[in-house]
Amino acid sequence: MSDIELLMNALGILGMAGSVGLGIWVVFLISEIKQLRLSVENLKHTLDEMDEQAKLVVRTDIELNKAQEELDKKITGLYTLQNLSRQISSTFDETQIFSKVEPPLLADLGFEKAVAFGWDDRHQVAQVHLCVGFSEAEAAAFSPLLEAERNHFEKLIRDEAAISSISPTIDQKFRQRICAMFRVTSFVIAPYLPKEGNKGILLAGAENADTVINEGDEELIKILANQIGQALDNARLFEKTWQAHQELENRVEQRTKELSQAFEEIKRINQRKNDFVSNVSHELRTPLTSIKGYASILLSGKLGAIPEEAHKRLEKINKHSDELVQFVNELLDIARIESGRVTLKISPFNLKNIIDEVGDMLTVQMKERQISFSTVLPDAMPEIMADYSQIKRVFINLVNNAFKYTPNGGKITVRVNIVDSGIQVDISDTGCGMPEDALDKLFTEFYRVDTAINQEVKGTGLGLAMVKHIVEAHKGKIWVKSKLGMGSTFSFILPKSS
Amino acid sequence: MIDIGTGASIDKNDVAAVEGAIRQAKTKKVNKEKIDLAFVFHGPDRASSAIIKNTSALLPNVPVIGGTASGFFAHQSHSKRGVVIMLITFPEGVFLTTGDVEGISAMGALAAGEQLGDKLLSGFKNVPRSLALLLFDRLTQDNADFIVGLQEKLGTSFPCVGASISNPEDSGRSDLLYNKKLLRDACAGILFGGKISFGLGLRHGWKPLGKPHVISSVSGNIIHKIDNEPAVRLYEEYLAYDFPRIRKELKNLSVLYPIGIKIAGQSEYLLRSIQAINSDGSLVCRGNIPAGSTTRLMISTKETCLEATRAAVDEAKANLGAQALKFHREKTSKLVIVFDSFPRAASLGKDILTELKIIADAFEPGTGIIGVNSFGELAPLSTQSYHGQTYFQNQMVSVLIIEG
Repeated sequence: MSDIELLMNALGILGMAGSVGLGIWVVFLISEIKQLRLSVENLKHTLDEMDEQAKLVVRTDIELNKAQEELDKKITGLYTLQNLSRQISSTFDETQIFSKVEPPLLADLGFEKAVAFGWDDRHQVAQVHLCVGFSEAEAAAFSPLLEAERNHFEKLIRDEAAISSISPTIDQKFRQRICAMFRVTSFVIAPYLPKEGNKGILLAGAENADTVINEGDEELIKILANQIGQALDNARLFEKTWQAHQELENRVEQRTKELSQAFEEIKRINQRKNDFVSNVSHELRTPLTSIKGYASILLSGKLGAIPEEAHKRLEKINKHSDELVQFVNELLDIARIESGRVTLKISPFNLKNIIDEVGDMLTVQMKERQISFSTVLPDAMPEIMADYSQIKRVFINLVNNAFKYTPNGGKITVRVNIVDSGIQVDISDTGCGMPEDALDKLFTEFYRVDTAINQEVKGTGLGLAMVKHIVEAHKGKIWVKSKLGMGSTFSFILPKSS
Repeated sequence: MIDIGTGASIDKNDVAAVEGAIRQAKTKKVNKEKIDLAFVFHGPDRASSAIIKNTSALLPNVPVIGGTASGFFAHQSHSKRGVVIMLITFPEGVFLTTGDVEGISAMGALAAGEQLGDKLLSGFKNVPRSLALLLFDRLTQDNADFIVGLQEKLGTSFPCVGASISNPEDSGRSDLLYNKKLLRDACAGILFGGKISFGLGLRHGWKPLGKPHVISSVSGNIIHKIDNEPAVRLYEEYLAYDFPRIRKELKNLSVLYPIGIKIAGQSEYLLRSIQAINSDGSLVCRGNIPAGSTTRLMISTKETCLEATRAAVDEAKANLGAQALKFHREKTSKLVIVFDSFPRAASLGKDILTELKIIADAFEPGTGIIGVNSFGELAPLSTQSYHGQTYFQNQMVSVLIIEG
């Protein structure tokens, strides 16, 4: 073989080997491509599967969103309803109740418009109490439109039934008329039903066609209408109560006025009485002084001796004249104190001084009748601010009374205590005492207790009245405790700084 | 430092509410006389005309920006009613201009953006500008053009942050407030510059679910086909709802399950909530959709939303920290402005208060925080790898910290 043939053979062998190699490589590539195709198919399949899962996710998400939206709407509605109820219940003014349904709160309930209306005895046409989401002109035009649907609305009130645009039982023509009348796409109508007074209709509507209402909305508006009904009841009850209260106040005012007039009249009469007593007393004193003077002259014998019998009579005239003078003086004192014509001479002094003086005054008579006189005084007796001579008259009167009504061998005690409101003086005796029904009248002028002893013991019936006037003129107070046969205790309190 | 006072009132009388809120805000400020800027937000229960009239009467010569908002908050107090007013005095070296443009639709979004840019730039001259804050009264379909127009004037990669504050379904009851005016179909903006730093963080909290799908036909904000099928089929398949039911419950479904658009190079998906479904099954989105994108159905829980809030706050603070050495000032304080999507806040329910607590707890006591519930947010998708592309987004919480 030539070199060329050898070369050709060698090339042939190499070519064959190359072809075989290429074939193997092609086979390998085809296998790879098949593998890749399979992977791509698998990936595509997986992607499709994931896409299907994504679709499931979206569909589930829609349902969840709807449920969430419903829940949010209900929560917002309930929260708003609670808020509205609180506001509605906070007023007792009928007109204010409706004004609480404001646009923001209504919007939170899912509505843009609301109307409340009803019929009453005074008006022939429907009265609109609430109008949200309408212009004034629109609101003014409602009455005749409502009149046309009056039967429908009155039936709802009678049946106490709420109805909405989605109610299965709603008359479709009525629904359309309501939608047109109030320019809404959906609505809820619920009657408000106060137990007393005029009932009415609450309508809540949505203008937006996207608004979807459901049974929950119907329930919310129904509850709101109930709240309005209850609030109206409360307001009307309050109005009645208020009017009754007002009437009572007017009556009280009228009576007070009448009493005040009567009191003024009494004061005027009392003043006239005092003036009369004062004048009469003055008029009496002059002739009394003359009588007493002449009696004294006759008794002195300056005009000649008088027979024994005449002397006795003259002494009686003199004695009775003294009593009459004392009586007139006491009357004058009472009249003066009552009319405020007596000016108290206030000065500081110790009550012990008065008690001692009064005790000294009666020492002789008490010894004669074996009546013991004792005092119980605090260790440190404070001074009081009062009129010395007037307070002394109080003591003289009360101790003298005790002396008069205490039997021989009895006991009179003057006790002084310091109390919160001032200084309290108790003058007790072991005398005959008084019936309980007499105590209230005891300090009245000319009153004398109807007892056997009083037939013997003389008195004007003015002493205790004067004592009371003096104590009260010092802003103090006086009272008595007594039981028949058990003695009496006269007590009075004088303020420390009276 | 920035001197801030915030006041709020729910007084039924609009005049008394404004007076009360301003009085309250002033008591919390150190400087009660000099006020550089006022934010005023009020609920739909208020008459915008009375609010702006009384605000401008009580704050003469103070730039006022705000509007009707379905929800707003100051610090940890959230409200849907009444009025909240924030009064701000910036320290020396901080510059700001304000401007407005009205009738965007008639004028054309591009031209409107340019006009606002011109207004904001007037008076700025050589001062370095930092950030534009924008408030829209509604979501405009061609919002991207507006931003392009604005950035034509301010700089093609200039940071713009903002939101649409009016509820698109509350037409007729929403107004944008600017100085003494009520604006409609409008935008009011503030251009900040000088010795000021800002940090922005934003997140939504929605996670992708299921396999990616290709948007095979789209025009603007309308997705015609996904995987060559009518776009609504995506929802039909995942929700197992028929077409009429999806249409009926769209408002809710759109908030719960928006679609997410994967943007190349971004970890966060661009969210798009569905505004309407056409009878041919095409989806009308709140915001444009980049052609050829892939999309996935998105899902969230309250926890993922709250986690997103934490992440947004952290991101804003981190971004602010990166700018900390831009200027030197003995003492600084922060103003925090939050745009929190209304549908997102609504889905949080009562947990909105937890969200506000998360935000408040992240800052020193006394930091001024104000926010509104928005209907579309304007911000770059990623604030850390910011390339000037500003997106109109849905269901986001965006936290803007301004330090000075």
